[in-house]
Amino acid sequence: MARFHDLRVTDIHKTTRDAVVVTLEPVNGAAEEFKFLAGQYLTFRRDFDGEELRRSYSICAGTDEGILQVGIKKVDGGAFSTWANEELKVGDTLQAMPPMGSFHTDLNPENENQYLGFAGGSGITPILSIIKTALKTEPKSNFTLVYANKGVNSIMFREELEDLKNLYMGRFNVIHVLEQDAQEIDLFTGMVTEEKCAQLFKSGWIDIEHVDMAFICGPEQMMLGIAKALRDHGLDDGQIKFELFASAQPGRLKRKVASKGSASSANQATVAISLDGATQTITMGKDVSILDAALENNIDAPYACKAGVCSTCRCKVLEGEVEMVANHALEDYEVEKGYVLSCQSFPLTDKVVVDYDQ
Amino acid sequence: MAEDMSIESYLAQGGVLTNPTNVPPRYRAELLKLMATFVDSELAGAAGFADIINEGPGIKERIAAARIVLEKTDNADRVLRIMGEFGADTARYATHHPWTARLERDADIGATRTEHDMRLAVFNYPLQGWADAVVMNLLMGRAVVVQMAEFSMVSYQPLADAFRAIAPIEAHHAELAEEGLAKLLEDGDKTAIQASVDYWWPRVAASFGSAESKKFDTLKGWGLRHSSNAELRNRWTAEAGAVLERLDLKAG
Repeated sequence: MARFHDLRVTDIHKTTRDAVVVTLEPVNGAAEEFKFLAGQYLTFRRDFDGEELRRSYSICAGTDEGILQVGIKKVDGGAFSTWANEELKVGDTLQAMPPMGSFHTDLNPENENQYLGFAGGSGITPILSIIKTALKTEPKSNFTLVYANKGVNSIMFREELEDLKNLYMGRFNVIHVLEQDAQEIDLFTGMVTEEKCAQLFKSGWIDIEHVDMAFICGPEQMMLGIAKALRDHGLDDGQIKFELFASAQPGRLKRKVASKGSASSANQATVAISLDGATQTITMGKDVSILDAALENNIDAPYACKAGVCSTCRCKVLEGEVEMVANHALEDYEVEKGYVLSCQSFPLTDKVVVDYDQ
Repeated sequence: MAEDMSIESYLAQGGVLTNPTNVPPRYRAELLKLMATFVDSELAGAAGFADIINEGPGIKERIAAARIVLEKTDNADRVLRIMGEFGADTARYATHHPWTARLERDADIGATRTEHDMRLAVFNYPLQGWADAVVMNLLMGRAVVVQMAEFSMVSYQPLADAFRAIAPIEAHHAELAEEGLAKLLEDGDKTAIQASVDYWWPRVAASFGSAESKKFDTLKGWGLRHSSNAELRNRWTAEAGAVLERLDLKAG
């Protein structure tokens, strides 16, 4: 199971009015665990008013820069991003899991590839890491970036991208597409949609026929449109890499509903089980697991190992109490929120309400 | 930019998910089931085949069999690591279960799985000697090729990537089985081999699941499935049937 490590903040600076770039250093000898591939992300955890929140942010540093750096854009109502933008300071300690994610491609100095990247807003962070790493590792490869933002003021890493253009003259090209600010070329105003992509390909700004690999990171709608345009122009699924934007992560989790059930010594329990929007109430023995009881009653509850190892059968206890006899998969914070492994959980109270849909 | 799109409608329109934090609960469960089915089948398949290595008639055959065992275990590991990112205890998972366990040769379990793991039903039947194992590997190998083509399109990108890497390796296993079977037919007992084909054909066919799957539409909406069980089985029937024809054997 992935473990959290302490990281110290060694630098923090604003890249736009509402986005910070945070540089981190693993402490307690965890440096080896934080080696990363360009395009991977870190998952942070922090306690807000007694409730643990986890947020993933992509690493924006190149793999050979020798630093860990993430970009965090403030999201309306986002507890973690607001805190990172307003309160986090040099010297603070953050907790993160080692880098994860498969938003990358294998690089080789011999490659002569044409890469194409699409970033929307803070979706630039993993793509920046890939740009820096690919151009450095593959001297014969080129990268074209289409970067969508609301306006000039909201462009993250604007100067850094200009520097990269100068450093890799002729090998790195950026097309800024701005939603609100007018530009000299009409094509570069508006949103990056399927149609916009088709126009960029047709007008020759992007040589789509020779693209070897494309990377897309942004909001859902934008990714769908771009992916469609790329497929229509001959790229197959293996040539299109996606990373879903941080804003798509679920919002703040609701607090666990207080237990109303009371303990009892009777052998039978009434258990309400919600799955796929339907709720069925069954009477079951307290010596039967919630999962087995559900299956016996023809409820198609999910499971795989039945040994408390894989977490497929995870559900949430909304009311009453259960005893989970083994748990090799859920972490403490999930258990605190009321999640249990239904294959290992037996009713303790006479009434239990569980939900597989949460 | 439209920022308020639900994950469900994003998936229904062909969107892909990229890490455990943006995966809805029911999608998570079905994704884990899909992964467990693959991992359990690979581990059970490799474990069953490991016992057969020493029955290989020559060193080339034993190398091929050992390689298949190694690579299937390795493929299980790739997918198990993705399960680990969702919290599964990967070390315990790999060893919590007797993967070599088999039912009787004449047990009739249709497409149902046993109580304690998610391996496809076909992996619950025991192999009977080298030639039987080669036939099973050929027929199931072709089925895996069809399944990998389907699952390389799943909407969870890390898993789609893993299956895309695994697909050519599994395809090669089917090729090795085909070569092995051709060799056996040159100097072997064709009647016994045809009997093995007759035994395994319906059992491999059943591993595609029932033609009427209530869940299919949901899974399709989430991008976890694309072709129906019946479509996949038909594809396999055609492809595996063609291979058997090349070898002058009859499909069951």
